[in-house]
Amino acid sequence: MRIFRTIILLMALLATTALRAQSISSVHGTVSDDMGPLMGATVCEIDATGRIINSAITDLNGNFTMKVKNANDKIRFSYVGLKTQSLAIDRTTYKIRMTSATQLKEVQVTSKKRVKGNGLPIPERELSTASQSLSMKEFEGLAITSVEEALQGHIAGLDIIANSGDLGSGSTMRLRGVATMSDVTGSSPLVVVDGNERDELGSQVGDLQGSDLNEKFSELLSINPEDIAEIRVLKDGASAAIYGVKGANGVIEITTKRGARGKPRLGYSFRMTGTYQPNSNYKMLNGDDYTMLLKESYFNPEQSDAASDIPELNYDPTFSEYEQYNNNTDWIDAVSQFAIRQQHNLNVSGGGEMASFRISAGYEHDKGTTIKTNYNRFTTRVNLDYKVSDRIRVSTNFDLTYQKNYQNYSGLLDIARKKMPNMSIYEQNPVTGEDTDAYYTMLQSGSSVFNNDQKGYANPVAVAHLAKRIRRAYDMRPDLIIRYQLLGLDEEHWQLNYTGRVVLSTNNTYNESYYPQVLTTKKISDGVNDASEGSSKNVQFRTRHELTLIPAFKNKDHSAMVMGFFEITNNSSSNQDLSKQGAPTGISTTKGGGKISSMNSAFNPDSRSMSYTVTSHYAYKGRYIADFTLRADGTTKLGKDHRWVYNPSVSGKWIISDEKFMKPTEKWLSMLAIRGSWSRVGNANISDFLFTSKYESTNDSYIDMAGMKPSNIRLSDLNCQWNTDMNLGFDLGFLKDRLSLNFEVYQKTSTDQLMSNYRIPSNAGFKTVPYRNTGKSRNTGWEFTVNTNRIVKAGKFTMDMNVNFANNRNEILEMDEYLLRNRNSDFGYTNGETLTRVQLHHPQGALYGFRYKGVYQYNYSTVQYMSEEERNEFFASGKTAPVVMNEKGEVVLDAQGDPLRMMFNYTIDSQGKNYKFCGGDAIYEDINHDGQINALDIVYLGSSLPKLYGGFGFNFNYGRWRLTTQFVYRLGHKIMNLARLNAEAMTGNNNQSEAVNYRWRKEGDITSIPRAMYGNSNYNTLVSDRFVEDASFVRMQSLNLNYSFDKKQLKWIGLNRVTLTASAQNLFTLTKYTGVEPNNTGTPAIDNNPTPLSHMYTLGINVEF
Amino acid sequence: MEKSIKNIKKLSLVGLVALMGFMQSACTDFLEVKPENQIVLENFWTDKNDVHSIIAGCYTAFQSDANVKRMMVWGEFRSDNIYVGVNTNSDASLEKVLLENIDAKNDYTNWDGFYDIINRCNTVLLYAPQVAEKDPAYTQSELRADMAEVIALRSLAYFYLIRTFRDVPYSSVAYTDDNQKMDLPASPFEVVLDSLITSLESIQNDAIDIYPEDKPKYQTGRITRDAIRAMLCEMYLWKQDYDNCIKYADMVIESKKKMAEDNRKKSKNYNQSKSSGSQLYELTNGYPLIESQQETGLYFGNAYTTIFGSDNNVSENMQEIIFQLIFDDTPSESHMKANGAVNSFYGNSQDEGLVAPPEFMLKERDETTDRKVFAIKNQKVDARLYENFNSTEKRIVKYTTSRITINAQTKTNPRAENISRYSQNQNGSNWIIYRLTDIMLLKAEALTQKMIEGSDDNVVEHNKPFLAEAFSLVNAVNKRSVCEPFGTQLVDTLVSDDYTSKSLMEELVLKERQRELMFEGKRWYDLVRLSRRTGNTTDLSNAALLKAATSQDLIANKLAKMDAIYWPYNLEEVKVNKNLVQNPAFDSGEDKSYKKNY
Repeated sequence: MRIFRTIILLMALLATTALRAQSISSVHGTVSDDMGPLMGATVCEIDATGRIINSAITDLNGNFTMKVKNANDKIRFSYVGLKTQSLAIDRTTYKIRMTSATQLKEVQVTSKKRVKGNGLPIPERELSTASQSLSMKEFEGLAITSVEEALQGHIAGLDIIANSGDLGSGSTMRLRGVATMSDVTGSSPLVVVDGNERDELGSQVGDLQGSDLNEKFSELLSINPEDIAEIRVLKDGASAAIYGVKGANGVIEITTKRGARGKPRLGYSFRMTGTYQPNSNYKMLNGDDYTMLLKESYFNPEQSDAASDIPELNYDPTFSEYEQYNNNTDWIDAVSQFAIRQQHNLNVSGGGEMASFRISAGYEHDKGTTIKTNYNRFTTRVNLDYKVSDRIRVSTNFDLTYQKNYQNYSGLLDIARKKMPNMSIYEQNPVTGEDTDAYYTMLQSGSSVFNNDQKGYANPVAVAHLAKRIRRAYDMRPDLIIRYQLLGLDEEHWQLNYTGRVVLSTNNTYNESYYPQVLTTKKISDGVNDASEGSSKNVQFRTRHELTLIPAFKNKDHSAMVMGFFEITNNSSSNQDLSKQGAPTGISTTKGGGKISSMNSAFNPDSRSMSYTVTSHYAYKGRYIADFTLRADGTTKLGKDHRWVYNPSVSGKWIISDEKFMKPTEKWLSMLAIRGSWSRVGNANISDFLFTSKYESTNDSYIDMAGMKPSNIRLSDLNCQWNTDMNLGFDLGFLKDRLSLNFEVYQKTSTDQLMSNYRIPSNAGFKTVPYRNTGKSRNTGWEFTVNTNRIVKAGKFTMDMNVNFANNRNEILEMDEYLLRNRNSDFGYTNGETLTRVQLHHPQGALYGFRYKGVYQYNYSTVQYMSEEERNEFFASGKTAPVVMNEKGEVVLDAQGDPLRMMFNYTIDSQGKNYKFCGGDAIYEDINHDGQINALDIVYLGSSLPKLYGGFGFNFNYGRWRLTTQFVYRLGHKIMNLARLNAEAMTGNNNQSEAVNYRWRKEGDITSIPRAMYGNSNYNTLVSDRFVEDASFVRMQSLNLNYSFDKKQLKWIGLNRVTLTASAQNLFTLTKYTGVEPNNTGTPAIDNNPTPLSHMYTLGINVEF
Repeated sequence: MEKSIKNIKKLSLVGLVALMGFMQSACTDFLEVKPENQIVLENFWTDKNDVHSIIAGCYTAFQSDANVKRMMVWGEFRSDNIYVGVNTNSDASLEKVLLENIDAKNDYTNWDGFYDIINRCNTVLLYAPQVAEKDPAYTQSELRADMAEVIALRSLAYFYLIRTFRDVPYSSVAYTDDNQKMDLPASPFEVVLDSLITSLESIQNDAIDIYPEDKPKYQTGRITRDAIRAMLCEMYLWKQDYDNCIKYADMVIESKKKMAEDNRKKSKNYNQSKSSGSQLYELTNGYPLIESQQETGLYFGNAYTTIFGSDNNVSENMQEIIFQLIFDDTPSESHMKANGAVNSFYGNSQDEGLVAPPEFMLKERDETTDRKVFAIKNQKVDARLYENFNSTEKRIVKYTTSRITINAQTKTNPRAENISRYSQNQNGSNWIIYRLTDIMLLKAEALTQKMIEGSDDNVVEHNKPFLAEAFSLVNAVNKRSVCEPFGTQLVDTLVSDDYTSKSLMEELVLKERQRELMFEGKRWYDLVRLSRRTGNTTDLSNAALLKAATSQDLIANKLAKMDAIYWPYNLEEVKVNKNLVQNPAFDSGEDKSYKKNY
């Protein structure tokens, strides 16, 4: 209807230019309809392009008077609900009678669904590249809180891993595996919101590391899901080619909702979520078990009671601190809590003929599952569209996000897992044993054995209450867009459209922290009352001008589009931080006194880029499709010779099902298409100005001469890293697309990889150069997606499902020989030392270690003097002792006829460890039977790459009820559980897991847990298959149930829509893995005990007025 | 009308295209930005101040903790002067060095700090001539002096490297680009040494002889002609070119004599309060050494305080010091560096050092019959017994103390008094690289090598002049430290009759060098030089074993190989440089010794 009305309007406009009177300067008249004079009707003068020049409103009697600028213009009469009339200005008096618009005949208008492909409005079925989209309509009314959550499990080949359960810690995203070995080129996909690239991350990639990078990425993605209309994930290089060097890791395109013509609508939603942290699969020891373990572990190495006589472990009432060390404290419980999250969202949208708008605001308040943490987020977004004329449209988007995150000063869970459980949280009255108000901290005069660990661990409960760490972030992005249709206005004419856009993005973060003296028992002079403040600021300016040409061919078999755009970006950033020590107690900021311990400020140079892009789309008969894109990127990151990076891509598609010969199968096969694409995209996410020699000050003077020094070796040949990407895809649709299948095979080869901190021979005066282009690696994989559209339909009941599978294999093809040698570490023969190996023609992420065979039951001396028969009988019965066995399993004897004792890392010059294994020590398999355990016994233990990963979900509808579920899975990958290794090591004073209660204590014990041995004199926790676990899992990501009320029932209270939701996230995980998080994409995957993901239960309501 | 609209459209189209074209032409400029927080090459090297600031950077590179630590570790710590101290295990690599258990993973095999100095020097050599063309105020003689200064610093850095590793990669070209060839093979010791000598010979006269008087610290803190000649003197000795060694030693000694004379003339005060010059010369056989006795009473230690002490009386100690790295005890005020290496290795008022003298050395003071180092016939008290280390506290005194007084009132039992240790991280002692006694003893060593072994008359006749001069030099150095007041009847502590043969004299020189230059990073190099000369490691090994408490056989075995007296290349270097062949005496550090246990 609306479309039809517009068309009529356009026709009318075009028709009325013929006649005109000579000098009419003003017009007047009356407007009426069937009922009589119309008050409030709009009368306007419009020029040839449809722009309003002048306007007037009719009065109580339907009269109007209006000045006329140009008699060549037209006059238009309009009123809501009535048919608009446009007339030539050929007289001064108008008497208009308007008729109802609703009496028009209904007309059907068909149009193809168009999506943005390569920046062009391409009909969806003509897309020839690998991408997958997700309409947020599917999630309407569900308790989705973030983009990540929406994408989780839905997109084949997209790995989303929450970094930890801590608030605001964000998640890591990897599309189709990590393309490269290089670690700093940034592996996160580019986020594009309404055509706006959020690439601040790329410009800062050299400065941000680890968790900061993740936090930043999560801030970029912090768009209120309620504002999102659609998310499209671009997977192959060809689809991302128009983003050039920035799109090398894939692209996530987000389209936000806009206002639509109609009367204003107000929506409100509220969600309340309860979250709690699951217990990890192993519990920690209580105080009694802990003290017993520690006493044993001090006794064992020296076999002396004196060594284990430690007052903190003795439960001796005469000890002055006795009351503080006679408890059973569950530190983990003490720092965990059940938390509530609230979310409010409000949006207003609407629009008229000229303008439409959508305004939304969201507020979120989270409490964390560790005590005293909370997270606040306020988001607002205004999207306005204004039609200046039929040719010119102006849009503006403005979004603002403010986040304030109260974090713990340090990871409390981590301390809580290590802290001695017999210690009390609060200082206890030495007489009564009752808790006082003061937090207890181990005294510096405590036993010296605790010097290196327990004394350094602050009381985590006290840290939560007394110390602070606050992170605030402001994000603002005003965006102005002008569209000008220079030639035709519709498909019947040649169209040439100009779009210009200016975006300013600012992003500010502030950090402050404070660590008071009371948390330590150190002297003031040792650095306490630490306060620090820091801020960073990033401003990006971008402008882009694009021209799109859409020819209107006479022969309708051809259709084509070409677009070219030019874009420049300027990025500037700066940061400052200030730390102070010894501020007066009571002042928790740097504003107070104290001594400055560090002060930095950096104004990073402007980083600039500019690009020219041409992209085109051609379709013949709507079924033979070819696309071509070329983008040239110029950046200040690369030197003159390599400054311009050309990224070409081609792709094509053949929709077989549209062929005539496919007619017979049309009934059931609604879509059969084959797609192919190729692209070559550069990646230059590196620091600026590496290509030039720089000089900096030495911090010290010599005598009275201020010193300078060369600060780098310039990378004169530095080039970007190239990703060559090939993708072959098949689209299948059955039964009018009620079942659609999608299969993709791809190969991504990255060459000239940017390897960071490349070690050079230091006789060059430097030990490393920041980057070197070297090496080649390849990712090969496939993805399979199944989607249904009301596949099961029975009365009021419908059911849908989505399933995806993905697999990715990685291989290192070429590598600089020096780099290869440098990346491979030598085994240092220490407990818990993980080994990294990079091997040509092998994937990354392989895990290596010893093979663990249990615990020696008996000491060497027990078997030493046995007769041969006794000994044979001993071993035949399955008993174990540390003696050397040959390949046949026979005991090896030395020259004296005694059994040879098993040794660890024996060297004749006694430079090795030369450790003699004893009863209760770990048995490692002597792979090469050389009578000792050393680096030669290290074997491959598995790969941390999954064999299959993806997600699946089901969707049930029954009348007004709806139930959706989503699962994610990852199968066949192994994780090195370093967290468990540390919790079972028994070599220090850290609390251990309950498993160590089964440790070897005396000769003959049959167990898989070795004896307790304090210090570094044992080798019981070398990296071995004891700690390499299969981490296959299936996780129920979400379960949602919602009910929407009947509109009729709501009318009387003036509501349009009410929906109620109940949902659960992360309900359960099926896995054999014992660590907290089986979803680990590290290469190699090492579990360092992240905060586990919380379980969440949500209730929500959506109301629309 | 229609037409005009079309024209407008056409015009706007042309305009757009023109705009884009304009943008394209502007693009090259747009992408030309320079970092604001650092100086780029294009804006640097414009006037002589830029040259001088990089030269200052060469010195600060020398001064870095890591480099001074290496001068100490490489030059001395494997010798009998240094052993495990307190908390040595906090530096595992250091502990392994002291226990003679060095492998290619040892941190002290890292040489990057020295190549950093070399590269800074080479950078100056590359760009300074260009500056001279641009900056009219930069004269040719200034340019030559600057080039001489950095060539000397570069040579010194290489000299440290070859004495430590024997063969090292040698480049006299600055590294500025990553496409330059970096994986150089090691050049042989002799080749490097020869090129150092050649380059120093050629620039010695370009270097500054005397710095302006208003910059007193420059005279000993920066390269002078004397410093270059001191280096040449030692280099020729390593080259076993004794005539040239003696020649350059004489040049240095003459220059220092002249300087002492000039000083004396200038300072009336000096003449009045202290003994006259002639007396001083008499005391030290005619060499301008600072006397040890203090102004009044039987108190000694003046020489120590002047040379090593905090007074840093550079105008006074410059008559004895040839080249030193200047440190400062108030780094936060002066923006200079404090001597962090000495602070952590030798200790400070708060902490004991990571290293200490070995047991046998600490006993020297109380031993009367079996002294190994301070074995002196007449049993006079040697001030250096107190200045070098403290036997009761088992600590090193030299460099950690800004002042010392040796009270010799009671001859049989002198005491060290008035010791003031530098406080933590505020060690202001300058690190001395060459001083006069060092050169005197190098000359003595060269003279000794000109002697012939044997006892027939011809030989004795041939040896006589060399023996006499060498002994006189050694005796001069020794006498200065004897706690005997001048004016009284002096009996030489050393008696010339005891040293009649080449080997005896050779041993005396070596011992005197040990006594005089203890803890100054010289002893191991002396032993290496000796081994190179004799072609075997017997003496070196014997000396090193004196301190070893355990596994003596193992160490003796190891040090039996000539290669073992040098250091292995760091494993990381070997990994990235296929042309670098590891010293065969050392385990590569990689796991390779997998001898079967049975």
